[in-house]
Amino acid sequence: MSPAPHDVPPANATFRQRVRCFFGERLGLESLTALAAKKHVPIHRATVFYFLGGMALFLFGIQVITGILLALYYKPSPDQAFESVRAIMTEVDYGWLIRSIHSWSANLLIGVLLLHLLTTYIMRAYRRPREFTWITGVFLLGLFMAFGFSGYLLPWNQLAFFATRVGTGIMGAVPFVGHELLLFARGGENVTGDTLARFYAVHVVILPLAVFALLGLHLYLVQKHGMSIPPWAAAKVGGERNVPSMPFVPHFLLRDMVGWYIALGILAALAALFPWELGHKADPFGSAPQGIKPEWYFLAMFQTLKHLPQHVLGIEGETVGVLFFNFCGLVVLLIPFVDYRAAQGRPRHLLNLLATLVVVGFIVMTAWGLLEK
Amino acid sequence: MAELPESHSRRDWLLRGLEVIVAATVAVLLYPVARFLRPRKQMQSGALEVVAPFRLNQLKLQAQPPFDFDGKPCLVVCTPEGEVRAFNAVCTHLDCTVGFRADHGDIFCQCHLGVYDLHGRNVSGPPPRSLEAYKVTLRGDKDKPGQEEIIVSRTT
Amino acid sequence: MTVIPRFLPSMLLAALVAGPVCAADEPPAHKPDEKALRAPALKDKVPLVEKENKCILCHGEKDLWEGERRRLYVSDKDLAGDIHWQKGLRCYDCHGGDSTTTDISKVHSEKAKFLTLKSRKNIPELCGRCHSDINYMRQYQPSMRTDQLAEYRTSGHGKRLEATGDPQVAVCTSCHGGRHHIYAVHDLESPVYPTHVSKTCATCHSDPKIMEGRQYHGRPLGHNQYEEWKQSVHGKALLEKGDRSAPSCNKCHGNHGALPPEIGSVANACGACHAKVAGLFANTQMKHKFEEVGLPGCATCHSNHLIRQPSDEMLGMGEDATCSKCHAQGQHGATLAGAHVARTLRAELDDLSQLIAEAETKTAEAERLGMEVSGPRFDLRKAVDARVNARTLIHSFDPGPVGRALAEGKQAASEVKERAEGAMHEYTARRVWLAVSLVPIAVVVLLLLVYIWRLPIPAATTANAPGDPTPEGRPPDNMERGTI
Repeated sequence: MSPAPHDVPPANATFRQRVRCFFGERLGLESLTALAAKKHVPIHRATVFYFLGGMALFLFGIQVITGILLALYYKPSPDQAFESVRAIMTEVDYGWLIRSIHSWSANLLIGVLLLHLLTTYIMRAYRRPREFTWITGVFLLGLFMAFGFSGYLLPWNQLAFFATRVGTGIMGAVPFVGHELLLFARGGENVTGDTLARFYAVHVVILPLAVFALLGLHLYLVQKHGMSIPPWAAAKVGGERNVPSMPFVPHFLLRDMVGWYIALGILAALAALFPWELGHKADPFGSAPQGIKPEWYFLAMFQTLKHLPQHVLGIEGETVGVLFFNFCGLVVLLIPFVDYRAAQGRPRHLLNLLATLVVVGFIVMTAWGLLEK
Repeated sequence: MAELPESHSRRDWLLRGLEVIVAATVAVLLYPVARFLRPRKQMQSGALEVVAPFRLNQLKLQAQPPFDFDGKPCLVVCTPEGEVRAFNAVCTHLDCTVGFRADHGDIFCQCHLGVYDLHGRNVSGPPPRSLEAYKVTLRGDKDKPGQEEIIVSRTT
Repeated sequence: MTVIPRFLPSMLLAALVAGPVCAADEPPAHKPDEKALRAPALKDKVPLVEKENKCILCHGEKDLWEGERRRLYVSDKDLAGDIHWQKGLRCYDCHGGDSTTTDISKVHSEKAKFLTLKSRKNIPELCGRCHSDINYMRQYQPSMRTDQLAEYRTSGHGKRLEATGDPQVAVCTSCHGGRHHIYAVHDLESPVYPTHVSKTCATCHSDPKIMEGRQYHGRPLGHNQYEEWKQSVHGKALLEKGDRSAPSCNKCHGNHGALPPEIGSVANACGACHAKVAGLFANTQMKHKFEEVGLPGCATCHSNHLIRQPSDEMLGMGEDATCSKCHAQGQHGATLAGAHVARTLRAELDDLSQLIAEAETKTAEAERLGMEVSGPRFDLRKAVDARVNARTLIHSFDPGPVGRALAEGKQAASEVKERAEGAMHEYTARRVWLAVSLVPIAVVVLLLLVYIWRLPIPAATTANAPGDPTPEGRPPDNMERGTI
């Protein structure tokens, strides 16, 4: 395909070519197609990690579509929320499929995002000049976890209600502003219809807008800087310039599509074989169900907080835990600046050790949380 | 698209086949979405509403048995003056299903001889409370009077 | 209570021992006339002024009445709760006598129309003086009944009192609160408040010492009726659930005319509430047989006091079944044909119960899997209603109507079961369609992989360095196909 605009299509142009000329002349799509043609993906041992970003994007797309569909039937009020979800599961045609896909895809998405974070760390993709790509990415991870937390409450069942109560309660453990945070999150002292309305607005309006903005920036930066090549891959062939690559369109995209189709198959299987539970309608005046736990991506934090001692060095245990997690988050956010020697290819043994500890700790605490009754 | 060597017709067919199948899968994906978007039965207004399985003329002709309203039996009666009323047909005494008694013009529970009037008030026998009353709306065609649909909904 | 002059006790002592004593003689301000004694008119009532009711001066002083004479003491507390006192009646309205004086010769004199109660036997008549006079009672409560005394005279209590003057037999004051603290029936303190009636009857009827040796129609009365009734459906309904429609002793035995129903009328007593069942039973051969043989109708199978929630186990010819008690050995002329009917009815009833249980299980399973089954759930109610109807129709002891009711129920239950199974099939269908849908996905994936494998990666490209759009350098030779 030629990048030059067509004023008049050649005489023997096919139908396809005519259509392309028509739009090309008016919309000026050549710049986009030129960009797409320019984009290349490096080929090395860790190329498979490059799929994760696209997979996350695909799953997010699924979330947007299924989320919009669900929003057509969901009613965000305490007396109607549970009923409307029940109606979606049992009365609306294929409602069960859309809802289960939405819930499963949310979990898969966060899993993929965590892997994406981990692999970009491993590949040191945050090196100069890609620090802001990393920073926007970490913020995006936070936004997606907020998506998960806010969406979890919407069915208004027992598990969701009490998990939200516990989760927002933990917010109150932040020193000084904790109580204000709690009031802001809950829309009051307790989890009520106000909380539900708030979470719904956050989940359906605020977070999507924030994510679109930040994601746009993130993707722009990725296009601008191109795909990062890990230092050892470059070293193997004697410099970045020598690293072989494939064009994004169509080669890498086709491989992406394989992954997307497989993901679709997995989601369909999960939705049909393990439909997402409806649960029981929330009873604010009843007692919390036994062994209440948050979703797996919050479980490690929850489990840690659960088993911290009452007081650590005179400060309340929960506050210490919350502060520690916030500190960890801050460090992760600032890794490009902590590992400032990355650009020079200097090793980062301490950071790697800490990272290993964090990952192992996360896995262990999550497993413990899942196994504990 | 990257440059393709000219004479790989097998690859052309592969590509064409792929395009077709991918398009087909996308179309198939749209099928459940399209079905999902179609409105479901019953929920036409905001509150819980059920349309009775009989019309006004049928009710006037013959007393109709209770039908399902939110999992409970709902009895619809027509007074001699022509007013249509609906009640929760579960007897307030020991939960038997009550019925309309045409010869007495009242609502009767045959388990322990409980009697309710056509306002649902317990007038005789063991029932301790009136029957729960529902709201009735008639919806019909101007050119087909008397054949209105009977819509039962909660009062609150 | 006014302060009693110190010399009064000795005065009274003198009076009792030595005859009349001269005391201050005050002219009576109020002389009760003949008619007033019979039924004091409201207009004759004067507001309570202590000095007009001097009876209290002696009879309200506890220390004067020791031992056996304690029964002549009337306390403040008694009168405060007493319905008569609250309505304005005073001592003289029932007892007559001269209340305006403390002259012991005059207060209880015959001239002053004082009514002595020689024994308990006189109590019903004393109460009946007013309570049987509708003209009098109309002044206080127009709709009140005035046949209590007449009924009482026909009752077991009344008849025994008349015949033997038995001091243990119940009289008005035994049940209505006591001699000077009678409560209105609607008063929660009343021993005959609807939920208290049974306990009041039980004070005597559950006491083995009182009931010893007592008989009715040659059979001992016994003392376990209250205990039995308390455990029965009716007792539990009244005492535990507060269901005021449940019968207490008085509902079946009568209030004032208390007598057990005759053998032949037991079914009528039950039928007062259980009309449908009683109606069915009245037309059966069994009823007539029972009457011939002297069996007590409903109570033959259901007991009279310990009436339990009936269960399907009572029906049929099983070991513990009620029917087999007669029909197994042919007692009381019970027939083999009857035994056959019992077996049939039980078998059919069990069939329906089985079907309902199956439908219920299937519906629950479908619901657990997330299928919408509120429709079938509702229709199952029809089957349950049909079963209730069938169980009632059993009292016709006719397989025809019972069979028809059961058939209705069986049809409803089978339909529900079918629909629940349909929901389960839908669930399976989803899995099947899922498997089917994985095929095109697999095909696409396969085709994609083949295409990718066959698509060579352009040889002369290298990774994009920042700001360098043109490829440079030589790629390795194995880049033709099959990489990644």
